[in-house]
Amino acid sequence: MIAYLQNIAVLFCINAILALTLNFIMGYAGIYSLAHTIFFGIGAYTAAYLALHVTDSMLVCMAAAASLSAIISMALALPALRVRGEYFVAASLGLQVIGVTIFAEWKSVTGGLGGMIGIPRPNLFGYVFNDDSAFLALSIVTLLAVLGIIALLVRGTFGRSLMAIRDSESAAQAYGKHVNAVKTISVAVSSGLAAIAGVLYAFYMSFINVEGFTLEISILLMAMVIIGGTGTLLGPVAGAALLMTLPAALTYLPFLPPSELGAIQQIVYGIAMVLLMMFRPGGLVGGRSKEKSA
Amino acid sequence: MLLVQLIFNGLQTGALYALIAAGFSLIFGMTRVFHAAHGATFTIAGYAFYEVYSVAHLGWPAAALTAIAAAALFGVLLDRWVYAVIQRHEGSFFTVFAASFGVAIVVQNVIAMAFGRGLVTITTPLSKSIELTSGLFVAPMTAIVLLTALICFGLLQYLLTKTNLGIGLRALGENPVLIEVYGLTQRKLSQYAFLIGSILVVPAAILTAATTGLNPSMAHHVMLISLAATIVGGVGSLRGAALAGMLLGMAENLCLAIIDPQWSEAVTFVILFLFILFRPGGVYGRAVTT
Amino acid sequence: MSSTPSLAHIADDRDHSSQQILLQIRNVNKNFGGLQAISDVSLDLQAGIITTLVGPNGAGKTTLFNLITGHLVPTSGTVHWLGKSLNGIEPWRIARMGIARTFQDLRLFNQMTVEENVMTVMERSSWLWQSGKNAITKRVDEVLAETGLFDKKTERAVDLAYAERKFLSMARIMASDAKLWLLDEPASGLDPRSFEKFVALLRDYANRGVTICIIEHNLDIVIQLSDRVAFLDQGKLLAQGSSQDILKDPHLAAIYFGDHA
Repeated sequence: MIAYLQNIAVLFCINAILALTLNFIMGYAGIYSLAHTIFFGIGAYTAAYLALHVTDSMLVCMAAAASLSAIISMALALPALRVRGEYFVAASLGLQVIGVTIFAEWKSVTGGLGGMIGIPRPNLFGYVFNDDSAFLALSIVTLLAVLGIIALLVRGTFGRSLMAIRDSESAAQAYGKHVNAVKTISVAVSSGLAAIAGVLYAFYMSFINVEGFTLEISILLMAMVIIGGTGTLLGPVAGAALLMTLPAALTYLPFLPPSELGAIQQIVYGIAMVLLMMFRPGGLVGGRSKEKSA
Repeated sequence: MLLVQLIFNGLQTGALYALIAAGFSLIFGMTRVFHAAHGATFTIAGYAFYEVYSVAHLGWPAAALTAIAAAALFGVLLDRWVYAVIQRHEGSFFTVFAASFGVAIVVQNVIAMAFGRGLVTITTPLSKSIELTSGLFVAPMTAIVLLTALICFGLLQYLLTKTNLGIGLRALGENPVLIEVYGLTQRKLSQYAFLIGSILVVPAAILTAATTGLNPSMAHHVMLISLAATIVGGVGSLRGAALAGMLLGMAENLCLAIIDPQWSEAVTFVILFLFILFRPGGVYGRAVTT
Repeated sequence: MSSTPSLAHIADDRDHSSQQILLQIRNVNKNFGGLQAISDVSLDLQAGIITTLVGPNGAGKTTLFNLITGHLVPTSGTVHWLGKSLNGIEPWRIARMGIARTFQDLRLFNQMTVEENVMTVMERSSWLWQSGKNAITKRVDEVLAETGLFDKKTERAVDLAYAERKFLSMARIMASDAKLWLLDEPASGLDPRSFEKFVALLRDYANRGVTICIIEHNLDIVIQLSDRVAFLDQGKLLAQGSSQDILKDPHLAAIYFGDHA
């Protein structure tokens, strides 16, 4: 039982980081990306590759993953600077598809469809996180660190610039905001931190393949953020918690066929999204208003 | 001969894509709703046909009518019961898009539960390939696909240029105030846009069921094509979307001559991505302001 | 151009020659693929002077503003601010050079609070933190007090009443410490009391040396506010001078009220 709960807790931390970082650009910057999972994947594959071939040092892996992800995120930043709304969503969709294809086909680096196996646990100054409880502690600390970074950014000068650009790009420019720089940085931060979640994921699961980074997952991440509430700092965390507890809760309902629980879970999300958008666009935590002032 | 074979395949795929894209482009261009559930309409139509034709064995006219009714009902009711409600109080692009997404997720999973996740196809003698000349295999189905597409576009062209409804629909996309002149309301026209746009995918869905088969998650691919063709062709231009759809279908098949099939979808997206970066207005579309 | 009436340079009876010319617009043209939006406009804006741009709808007033702020680039001609050419400089950089504007449709940061709207304008750099936080908070409070919005600090911009929104728009520009203010119909729809407060605010800042240029339709407002008036029609600067002289001219009145084709 303990092991089961610990497992859910670790996955919760990982999903919460992903949701928080996605909300950073969606709720605060107004950049709606369907490609978030790709950066999660870049982090995971980077960590896996380094751990298997170079070093199992956690700090090195995290630094490398975050940096690589931030650099590649320029591919997402470029359309973000030029177009909005539906056009940007389409561009991010394109990136997601291209990314998945690369993950699946670049056998020499990603292991192709078979993925990468036997990823060792990470090493921090000599201590190896073989113990699952220790790994949970690591995950929680990482989640709190990411939460801290995002809170710091969002509640301060940078956050205000971001929201100003979201609310009126032309006015923000008229008052001296360097719109391109701010957008680019926010995309880089979001992607870099998402990669950190990927690092945790790779180390924890010891096996990764492209199935973990598909469009389906990107859609579910978006659902998490929307349901939890795009306009709040903790809304995405609530969304992630829901994602974790819902499957468990569903197993307790006797009339549901166990083989279809996955589908039923998604149906619940789908319905929740529709109803929320109709009556409470701010999500469960946010309420009526979709956007936030810090 | 491989090249010619690929061209024929490309024409078939292209015609189907053109129909799908035109449906989405019509809805999006005219109502400005990012109808992410367009793929769901396709899936519903396809499975409806399959259920009536292959499972209940009620003959293809009944099956076709069921498919049309199902698609039309889905599109129209979605617009009336969900999109309209949202647009009344807030209606930002993202809220509508997210709701549309939610619906798509529900439909995909309901169909998966009802029909299973595997591929289902409709067997008909028409999809049996005949060897026209050495190495060139074409099925009568290809001709049917092309003919259907041409008829549909012909009808659409007539509707949009010669009828009041059609002119009203075109005005809705460009100059909404003008439609009051024709005694129509935006709401009513929006319903028509969804009706026509949803029906347009039905032939594509049926034909796809008879050729490559159906599976619950194909809605994704349908959406990707719709989006790519609409943007590359130019938002607001049906002709652009249809042409772009045809081109994407051709490109997808012709690419097989040079690269692995797994990359063909990625190629579509590289094209889309480049267009968004350098020419978001598409080939025929209006200028895009950011 | 040569058919411009000789009213073009009416002498201004007040002596403004001692005021520094900060913004120089010289022979600016703006052409939108065949449509000549601005034709050979030359205008000087001086410190401490409130200039109003008047003219019928579509005369090119907002276009002129956009040419100054960098949102549009002149087809020909120059715009100099404090002696430096603004041609080709990005809008955000021009803003940081001390030029700020308001919009006819306000464009407030609607989902942000009143306080945040003002604070974000003061935070010149977009990075992590801004040094001198205390000074900023103090100035924000000052500005909010001057515009009567202090009590509404934590309300969202979108929830404010109309007049309050107009004042928030002014609060932003006041907090920006800009030396040139371009105001696009800032007073439209204000009730008399709010209007008085508004006029007092403008005068106060003008006396502190700010250069102010306003686009305004309401002639009463123009008369009460302006030191100088510039009359624009179909992209051409027909006349400029003191408000008395411009507004008394029957020829211009005819154009303004649409008595010609």
